[in-house]
Amino acid sequence: MGDDKLLNLILLCIPLSLVSIGGGQTIVASLQHQTVDVLHLLSGPQFTDLYAISRAAPGPGTLIVALIGWEVSGLWGAVLSTLAIFIPSSILLCILGSYWQRHRHSAWAIAAEKGLAPVAVGLIFAGVFAVGQSARFTPLELATSLGAIAVLLTTKAGPYPLLAVVGVGYFLLSFAGMA
Amino acid sequence: MDKPVGDIDMEREVNVTSLALLASFLRLGASSFGGGMAGWTHREIVERRGWLTDDEFLKTLTVAQIMPGANPVNLAVYVGLKLRGVAGACIALFGMVLPAFAVILAMSVTYQQLKSHPEAQAVLRGLACVGIASSLTMGIKTARRLKGHAVPVLMAVSVFLMVGVMRWSLVAVVVGAIPVSVAATFWIEREKSRG
Repeated sequence: MGDDKLLNLILLCIPLSLVSIGGGQTIVASLQHQTVDVLHLLSGPQFTDLYAISRAAPGPGTLIVALIGWEVSGLWGAVLSTLAIFIPSSILLCILGSYWQRHRHSAWAIAAEKGLAPVAVGLIFAGVFAVGQSARFTPLELATSLGAIAVLLTTKAGPYPLLAVVGVGYFLLSFAGMA
Repeated sequence: MDKPVGDIDMEREVNVTSLALLASFLRLGASSFGGGMAGWTHREIVERRGWLTDDEFLKTLTVAQIMPGANPVNLAVYVGLKLRGVAGACIALFGMVLPAFAVILAMSVTYQQLKSHPEAQAVLRGLACVGIASSLTMGIKTARRLKGHAVPVLMAVSVFLMVGVMRWSLVAVVVGAIPVSVAATFWIEREKSRG
């Protein structure tokens, strides 16, 4: 049972690794949809929890697959899904990297660099949409998100001070029985 | 290390031991809190170790950003490959990912222990709000680079609708969208340069 789930997770990660242009945030939509709705590895709230941890953790956001692997089958799940998300893209990089470097001034290479951006933008918004939809935010949480967006867009503050402030704030609210 | 270097000189002899490579990338992996990894990597690999020149590093960075995968990890793998071949790439990948992997697993264990407490649930909900906000902000900042040009904006909106709303296979959509987007960009750039 656990092994089947792990195999499915690994088979999900390998192709996603190869299309994760710009990093982890571009594949979140598929991770959410596949692990929750298709493969039933996680419940919706569970995915939201793991997403929250991965966004608060150091290192690449791609490591959310380590958390999913851990939930599915412990340490081996975490190790194998991490390998499955990093190794295919690394192999592609090693094979194509020097070719790209040699031809980087050609018109096609320049078009490729510019042409990937719109695809990445669409994928990032799709990820936000998928997680936002499954998280079913309360009005307070929606207000928190909007406030955080405003702070991140208008100031130079990174996400970490915000995570600390909001984390402590929600702890106190919960402690006081208000959230 | 300020000798003039040519384009092909990437393979010049630099004495990089596996152990030193591992130490450098473990250090970088451990400092990967937040962003600015390109800056950290430059400081370690170019300024402190002198393993690559500025020019070599910049070329490496461009490749790391364009290829699929997390940019800091790609940068590590490609620097490792340049310095010590496939073994170097493996060492760099291992060093870069291990510290973050250990931390996220520790967080996962803590989550398992605490998840029955309502306070822990509340904190996680709060963190999810900020997490989504920071992803959305990243999306908005990247979208600004499209500068409102019709074709790339249409491309981004189509990808969003297909993957986000209609829930088509992300891999299939990306494999289909990249050639279209790159060809369209190529054509637009060519028209532009013709005036």
